[in-house]
Amino acid sequence: MATPASAGLVACPSCDLLFDVGGMRHGEKAVCTRCGDFLTRVRDDCFLKLQSYAISGLVSLMIACAFPFLSFESSGLESIMTLPQTAQQLYDQGRPDLAFLVAGFIIVIPAAVLGLLTVLSTCIIRQRYYPWMVPVTRLVFHVQNWSMVEVFFIGVLVSLVKIAHMATVVIGISFWAYGAFALCFVASVGNLDRLQYWNELERLAGLKRAG
Amino acid sequence: MQGKTAASRNLASCHICLKLADASLHECPRCGEPLHLRKSNSLQRTLALLVTACVLYIPANILPIMVTDQFGNSTDSTILGGVVLLIDMGSVPIAAIIFIASVMVPLGKLIALFYVCWSVGTGRTTDPRQRTVLYRAAELIGKWSMVDVFVVSILVALVHLTGLLVILPGAAAVAFAGVVIVTIVAAESFDPRMIWDQQDVINE
Repeated sequence: MATPASAGLVACPSCDLLFDVGGMRHGEKAVCTRCGDFLTRVRDDCFLKLQSYAISGLVSLMIACAFPFLSFESSGLESIMTLPQTAQQLYDQGRPDLAFLVAGFIIVIPAAVLGLLTVLSTCIIRQRYYPWMVPVTRLVFHVQNWSMVEVFFIGVLVSLVKIAHMATVVIGISFWAYGAFALCFVASVGNLDRLQYWNELERLAGLKRAG
Repeated sequence: MQGKTAASRNLASCHICLKLADASLHECPRCGEPLHLRKSNSLQRTLALLVTACVLYIPANILPIMVTDQFGNSTDSTILGGVVLLIDMGSVPIAAIIFIASVMVPLGKLIALFYVCWSVGTGRTTDPRQRTVLYRAAELIGKWSMVDVFVVSILVALVHLTGLLVILPGAAAVAFAGVVIVTIVAAESFDPRMIWDQQDVINE
C-alpha cells in the first residue's frame, strides 16, 4: 500500500503536483510552485485561536439575535428590525423558500460551524479522540463554504445607504455585535487548516489505538 | 525540475482531508469521504449546472426583485432598475457595488466557467496556470452575488410601516438566489486538475 511512502506528501488540490510538506515549522506556509494554490500553513497555536474565536463569535451572535438590529422611523411611525426577522418577514410575505435560504446562510450554518468547531477544538486541545469527531469534521468542511456572514454585512451597509434618504435609520447594538461575529467567524475559519487539522486528528486516533 | 503528479503514481487525493491513498480504494481511509482520482463526470455536471444558471438568470433580470408600496401605490423594481435608481439618487459607489455584485460577478463567473470547460473539452495546453487562477477567482467571488438578495431581505424586514411604506420581496429574488447557488455548485463540481492533465500526459 502507498500509505507509508506518502507520509508528509500532499497533492496540490488544483493541479495534482506532489509536494513534501513534512518537517515544516511554526509560521511557515506552503504554496504550489506550479499553479500558485495554497497548500498548508503550520501554526502551533491554531487550535487555541480556532477555539477562542469560535467562542467569541458564538457569544456575539447571541447578542446579535437578542437586540434590535436597525430601526426605521418615518412620519412618527417606527419599525424595528431584529436579525431573525430578516428571515421571518420573508416567510410572512409568502417567500418561505427565500426565508429558509437567508436564515441558513446568515445564522444557522455559521452558528452550526462555530458550535461544532468549539467542541472539536476543545477535544483536540485536551488531546482527546472520539470516533464521532471524524464525521463531524467532514460535515464542517462540507458546509463551511455556505456561510455568508461577510456578504450579509456588506448587504447591511448597502441597505443603509439605500434607505437613508427615505427616513431616519438608527443603528442598534445587534449591528455591531453581528460585525464582531463576522470578524470572529472569518478569523476562526482562517485558523482551520485542512491538512494540519486532519494530521492532528489522525495522530490522536493513532495514540488512542496504541493505548 | 518538473515534479510528479499524484495521479501518475496512482494516488488519489481526498478533497476533504487531502490524504493521499491508493486510487483503487472507494473511500478515504482517513475521513471516509468517497475517493476519486478525478471528480466524476466533472465536465458534464458543470456544463449542465451552468446551463441551468443561464436559464434562471433570465427571470432573475426580467421579474421584479422588490416591490415598494408607498401610500397604496406599488412600484416594481428589477435588478438593473435598482442600479439606475441609485445612480439617479446620486449614490454612485453603492450603484457600482450592486452592479458589480449582481450583474458583473454572475456573468463573469458564467463566462469564466464556460471558458475553462471549453478549454478542457477541446484539449488546450496553453496557459494552464492562468486558467487555474481564473477558475479559482470564479470560485472565490461566487457567493458575493448574494448581496442583492440580502439587501432585499433586510429592506423587507426593516421598512414595514403598514399603509405608509412597505417593501415586499419579488419573484426575481428567488430566481437570483437560484443562480448564485447553482453557479457555486457548478464551480464545486469542476475539477481544475483536468486543466493540467493534458500536458502532464505529453510530458511523460
